[in-house]
Amino acid sequence: MLTSNSSLEQAIDKILEKTEKEILSDLKNSGLDSKQTLDDSLTKLEQEYDKIISDGNKEADKIEKQIIGSSELGTRNKQLTTVEESIDKVFTKALDEIANADRSGDYLDLIKSLFDESTKILGTTEIVVYTNSKDKDIVQSLLSKYPGAELSSETIDCLGGVKINSKDGTMAFDNTVDAKVERLKPLIRKEISTKFGVGN
Amino acid sequence: MGAQGRIVWVSGPAVRADGMSDAKMYETVTVGDAKLVGEVIRLTGDVAFIQVYESTSGLKPGEPVIGTGAPLSVFLGPGIIGQIYDGIQRPLRELSKISGSYIGRGITTTPVDMTKHYHFLPTVSIGDEVSGGSILGTVKETDLIEHSIMVPPDHKGGKITNIVSEGDYDLETEIATTEKDGQTTSLKMYHKWPVRKPRPILKRHDPTVPLITGQRVIDTFFPIAKGGTGSIPGAFGTGKTVTLHQIAKWADSQVVVYIGCGERGNEMTEVLVDFPKLKDPRTGKPLMDRTVLVANTSNMPVAAREASIYTGVTIAEYYRDMGYDVVLVADSTSRWAEALREMSGRLEEMPAEEGYPSYLASRLAEFYERAGRVRALGSPDRDGSVTIIGAVSPSGGDFTEPVTTHTMRFIKTFWALDAKLAYSRHYPSINWMNSYSGYLADISKWWGENISDDWLSLRGEAYAVLQREDTLKEIVRLLGPEALPDEEKIILEVARMIKIGLLQQNSFDEVDTYCSPEKQFKLLKLLVDFYNRGQQALKEGAALADIRAMPIVGSILKARMDIKDDQIAKLDQLDLDMLEQFKSITGVKIQN
Amino acid sequence: MSAEGGVQYSKIAEIKGPLVVVDDVSSAAFDELVEIETNEGERRLGKVLEVGNGKAIVQVFEGTTGLSISGTKAKFVGKVMEMPVSKEVLGRVFDGLGRPRDGLPDPIADKFIDINGQPMNPEQREYPKDFIQTGISVIDGTMTLVRGQKLPIFSGSGMSHNLLAAQIARQATVVGTKDDFAVVFAAIGVQYSEAEYFRRSLEESGALKRSVLFLNTADDPAIERIITPRVALTVAEYLAFDLGMHVLVILTDMTNYAEALREISAAREEVPGRKGYPGYLYTDLSTIYERAGKLKGKKGSVTQVPILSMPSDDITHPIPDLTGYITEGQIVLGRDLFRQGVYPPVNILMSLSRLMKDGIGKGSTREDHAEVSNQIYDAYSRAQEVRALAGIVGKAGLTEIDLRYMDVGDAFEKDFLTQATDESRTIEETLGIMWKIVSLLPKNEITKIKDKYIDQYYTGK
Repeated sequence: MLTSNSSLEQAIDKILEKTEKEILSDLKNSGLDSKQTLDDSLTKLEQEYDKIISDGNKEADKIEKQIIGSSELGTRNKQLTTVEESIDKVFTKALDEIANADRSGDYLDLIKSLFDESTKILGTTEIVVYTNSKDKDIVQSLLSKYPGAELSSETIDCLGGVKINSKDGTMAFDNTVDAKVERLKPLIRKEISTKFGVGN
Repeated sequence: MGAQGRIVWVSGPAVRADGMSDAKMYETVTVGDAKLVGEVIRLTGDVAFIQVYESTSGLKPGEPVIGTGAPLSVFLGPGIIGQIYDGIQRPLRELSKISGSYIGRGITTTPVDMTKHYHFLPTVSIGDEVSGGSILGTVKETDLIEHSIMVPPDHKGGKITNIVSEGDYDLETEIATTEKDGQTTSLKMYHKWPVRKPRPILKRHDPTVPLITGQRVIDTFFPIAKGGTGSIPGAFGTGKTVTLHQIAKWADSQVVVYIGCGERGNEMTEVLVDFPKLKDPRTGKPLMDRTVLVANTSNMPVAAREASIYTGVTIAEYYRDMGYDVVLVADSTSRWAEALREMSGRLEEMPAEEGYPSYLASRLAEFYERAGRVRALGSPDRDGSVTIIGAVSPSGGDFTEPVTTHTMRFIKTFWALDAKLAYSRHYPSINWMNSYSGYLADISKWWGENISDDWLSLRGEAYAVLQREDTLKEIVRLLGPEALPDEEKIILEVARMIKIGLLQQNSFDEVDTYCSPEKQFKLLKLLVDFYNRGQQALKEGAALADIRAMPIVGSILKARMDIKDDQIAKLDQLDLDMLEQFKSITGVKIQN
Repeated sequence: MSAEGGVQYSKIAEIKGPLVVVDDVSSAAFDELVEIETNEGERRLGKVLEVGNGKAIVQVFEGTTGLSISGTKAKFVGKVMEMPVSKEVLGRVFDGLGRPRDGLPDPIADKFIDINGQPMNPEQREYPKDFIQTGISVIDGTMTLVRGQKLPIFSGSGMSHNLLAAQIARQATVVGTKDDFAVVFAAIGVQYSEAEYFRRSLEESGALKRSVLFLNTADDPAIERIITPRVALTVAEYLAFDLGMHVLVILTDMTNYAEALREISAAREEVPGRKGYPGYLYTDLSTIYERAGKLKGKKGSVTQVPILSMPSDDITHPIPDLTGYITEGQIVLGRDLFRQGVYPPVNILMSLSRLMKDGIGKGSTREDHAEVSNQIYDAYSRAQEVRALAGIVGKAGLTEIDLRYMDVGDAFEKDFLTQATDESRTIEETLGIMWKIVSLLPKNEITKIKDKYIDQYYTGK
C-alpha cells in the first residue's frame, strides 16, 4: 500500500511537472474568448487532469487490484483514504499552479468574463469587488466598464478571480477560482478516481 | 390563447402568478419552463392562484404561466376501458414509455392512442334529426363493451348531412356532419367534457334494482341499488380495500371505474395484475375489459388527487350515457378531502372543523349527487346508472370526524367497518349493528321477482337474531353464558352460525369469493330454519348440547366454501338433512 | 451539479424556530438547497419551503441556534439536495444529512440523486410476492413479510422493537435464492446506544459490509430528521434499482420524524390537523413509505421495516394511524405480553400483513398456510374472549370448549410466539407448531380449514 502510494506520488509529480505549462496555457486560452466563462476553462483543466491520470494508469491498476481483491471493510476503508489522499494531491498541485500563474496578457479576459457572469447573476453593476493582491491591478483596470462598481480596499485570500457584493450588502456572489473549483470538485473527484480504477 | 403571466410565488403545489387578468376560473394553465399542468382556482385582481398537478420542485418566481383557454377536461371516446390514468387522465402506461419507472414532469401525451382504428357501425342516416347525446353509431371497444359514439351533450343538434359508412376509422376522422340554422358542425368519434360539470341527463329514475356484489353481508343485509350511493368508512386494517376490490370484481355492472385516490401504489398494481386474469362471472371475459383505473397514489402530487375524483366520475357518466350500469369506487374520499384541505390552507382560507374548508360538505354533496339511474339525453332511449361507493378513512377510526359525518348526510348505504371484528379476523368486518341501507324497501320487489318473496322477511328474522345477541352479550359479559336459559343460549349459538356461515366471507377462497343471490338466499334460509327448528326442539324437550352436537352444524358453517354456485341443490339437501337430525333428537316431533 | 454556484443573500428578515426568512431575494426556486453561513463562518444546510414576492422561507436542517439577523448569510445553491451514491457506500456510516460520520472521505459519486425521489409509476410497479423467511414464527406464520413490502413495527417506549428489527435484519432470507442483499439503517433521533446496538448486531452477523448506516441520534439537530429517511431511501433505491440488490430498510423512530415535521409546521403557523400535526402529515409520510417496492424490469427491491413508538401506546394517535393507512400492514407489540416477558411480544390480533396472501401457499410456503393461519387468528381471538370471561366468572363457569381455547391461548404464547433472539425457525417448523396448537381443538371447531388439510395435518384425537 505504502509503496504504491509513494510511487503514485512520484508519478503524479512527474506528470505535473511536464504538464504544468499546459495547464497554465489552458487557463490563458480560456481568456481569449471574452464570452467564454471560467467554466469552460475548468472543463479543459479537467481534461488535463484526465491526461495526468491516464499516464498514471499503471499505478492505478495496482490500487484497483488491491481494492477489488479485498473484501474486508477495514482494508477497503484504508483504500478509500488512500485514493482520497491521491486525489487531494492532484488538486493541491493543480491549484498551486493556478495560484502562481502569470497575470499578464489573456488573464485580463478571464477576469472580465468572471465579472460579466457575476453582474449578470446579481442583476446590477452597483457592486463592490473583492480580489486578492495579485489580481488587484487587473481588476482595477476593468472597473470603468461597470458603472457603479468599486474595488474594495480589503483583499481576500484566494487563488484568483473575484468576489462581488451588491453595494447595499444584501447580495454576494463568489466567483473566485477557488469557489469554481470547489463546485466542480465532486465531479472531478469521480473523474480522477475512475482513472485510478475505483468507483463505478 | 389564454392569459400569459409570470410566477410571483411558489409553495408546494400552490403557485401565484400575476399578469393573469385574462385567465378564467378553473382554466387549465401551463406553469413554468417545465410546462407543468395547473388549474386556476382563485382570481384576485390580475393575480391567479393556481394548483399545480405535478411536482413544483425547482420552480422559480419569474417563470412564465400560460393559459390554455379551456377548463380541465377529460377525453371521452373509445380506448378508455382497460387504461390506467393519473388524476388528470394521463395514461400511466404511455408515461412510462417516456419517463421510465418513475413519473416524469411536463409530459404531454394523449389519453388514448389516437391512431388506432375502430370498426364503426353507423346507426343514423343522412337526413336524420339528432340532438345532444344521440347515438351516431357504435364501435367494439373491448369484448365486453360496445361503445356508442354520441353527439356531445352540449351540441345544439340538427340534421345529419353526412355520415361515414361502416368501416375502420381512427379517432381524428370526421365521421358525421350536422347542420342547423345554416351552420355545419363536424363530429368525430370522441369529444371532451369539463370534469367539474356533471353531464346532463333527461331525467332520473328511482333506484329499484339492487347492485349484486356477490358479497353476502352487502347484498343480503345492507344492499345498495344501481344508481345509489354508499360509503365504507373504516380504520386501517379493517379490510376496506379488499372489500372495495371485491365490489369492483364481482358487481353486476357493465363498467367499473376504480379511483385510487391518495392510496397505496401496490393496490393499483394488484388490480392491474389480478383483473386481466379474473373472469367476469356472467360473461366469462377478463374483468379488465370493463374496468378503468384512475390512480393518483398518496405520493403523487396532491392537487391531481383532488382532480382524480372528478376525472373518474366524468368517465363513469360517459359510459352511463351509453346505457350502461357503471360502478364508481373512490378509495379514499378522505384523501381527496385532505387534498382540498391542503390547497385551502395554502390559499389561507378560514378553516372550519379540523382545518377542512367550509365548502367540504357542499363538494361532497356535489360529488355524490352525480350518482343515479337516469334516462340519457338523445335518441334512442336508454337507461344507465352510476353507482358511487366512496371509502372513508377516518383518522383514528373515529366516525365523528368531519369527512365521515358529512358523507353520511349524502349517502344511503353505510357499511361501517369495525376494527374489533377485523382483529378477530371476521371479514368483511362490516359491523351489522352500525351499518344501514336505505334501499331495502326499494329493491325488495326485485328479490321477490327474481329469487323469492320470502327474502325480506327471512332477512328480518336473521337480523333480529343478531340484534337479540347484541343485547344478550352484555349479560354474558357480566355473568357468564351459564346465566342464560337455553332458549336464549340458542340465540347466541345461531348468531355465531350466522356470523361464520353467512356474514363472514373469504375473498381469497375461490368458491367463497363470490356468492350468487340464489345461494345467498338459500344460506339465509338454512340459518333461519335452523333457528326456528332449534327453538321448537327446545320446547319439545331437546337438550341444547344435542342441538350443538348435530353434524349438520359443521356442514352449514362450511357450506359457503364447500358448495359451488352450480351445486345449489345441495343446499336444499342440507335443509332436509337438518330436519332429519332435528327429528332424531326430538323423537320426530319437529315439523318443517 | 452546477458550476454556476449561487448568490449569497445577507438580508435576513426573520428567524423563528427552524426557519429563516430571507428578504430581497431575486432568484430562488422552490425546494432549492440553501447554504446558511453563520457569523462565525459555520455552514449549515437548508431548503426553500416557500418563495415569492422577494422573500424566501428557508428551513434550516441543523437548526437556527446561534444564528443572528445580522451576519447570517444564505446562499441559494441552484439545485435541490442530492446524495452522492456509489457501491462504496456499503459498509459506511453517515450522519443524518448523508455526510460521512466515520472519518472517511465523501463517497466518490457514481451519481448524485435528488433525495426526494420521484413517485413510482403504479403501472411500472411489480406486485410484491416473494416470501421472506425471517425465521421468526409469528411473522412468517401469521404476518408474512414479502420483498418490496412496507411493514412497520408499532411499538411503545421501552419495548423490544429494536431486538425484533435487528433479528429480522440478521435472519431475513429468501429461501432458495442467492441474490445480493443489503441493509440500510436510518436512526432518526434515537439514543446512541440503540443505534450502536444495531451496528454491533450487523457487525457480529458479518452483515456490516453489506450495510449502510445513517445516524441522527437524540442529541443531533431535530430538523435534520426530515432528511435522514430520505437520504437513506435514496441510497436504498440506488442499491436496489441500479445495482440490483434486495435492500431491507429499517427506519427508527418515525415518531421523531413526525415531531420534526410538526415543529416546522408550527413555526410556519399553519392550520394544524389532529394533535398539532400538519394536515399534510399523511401525504408527507407517504413520500417516505411509498418508496418501498419492486419495479418491472429491475432486479432488486426495497423492503421497509419502519419502527415507530406509539405515544402512550395509543394506536389511534395520528402517527401510527396515518402510517397504518399507508403501509401494507403492521406488526403491533403488546404491552401486556412485554410485561409478561414474552419475546417477541407481538399482539397478533392487531397485527396484519396485507401482502401475505400472495407471498404464501403452494410454491412459496405451503398450500395449507393461509387456512391454518386464519384458524390460529380465530382461535387466539376466542382464547382472549374466554380469558376475559374467566376473569369474571372463574374457570368453573367455563364450558369444556372454553377450556380448550384457554389451552390454545397458553400454547400459542409459550410455544409459538416465544422465541430466542438467536433462534431462526424454518417455515416448516413454524407451520408444524401452528398445527400442534390448532390440534388442541376438536375438529368441529375448525371452521376455517378445508377437510383435506385437516385430514393431512391435524394431530389431535
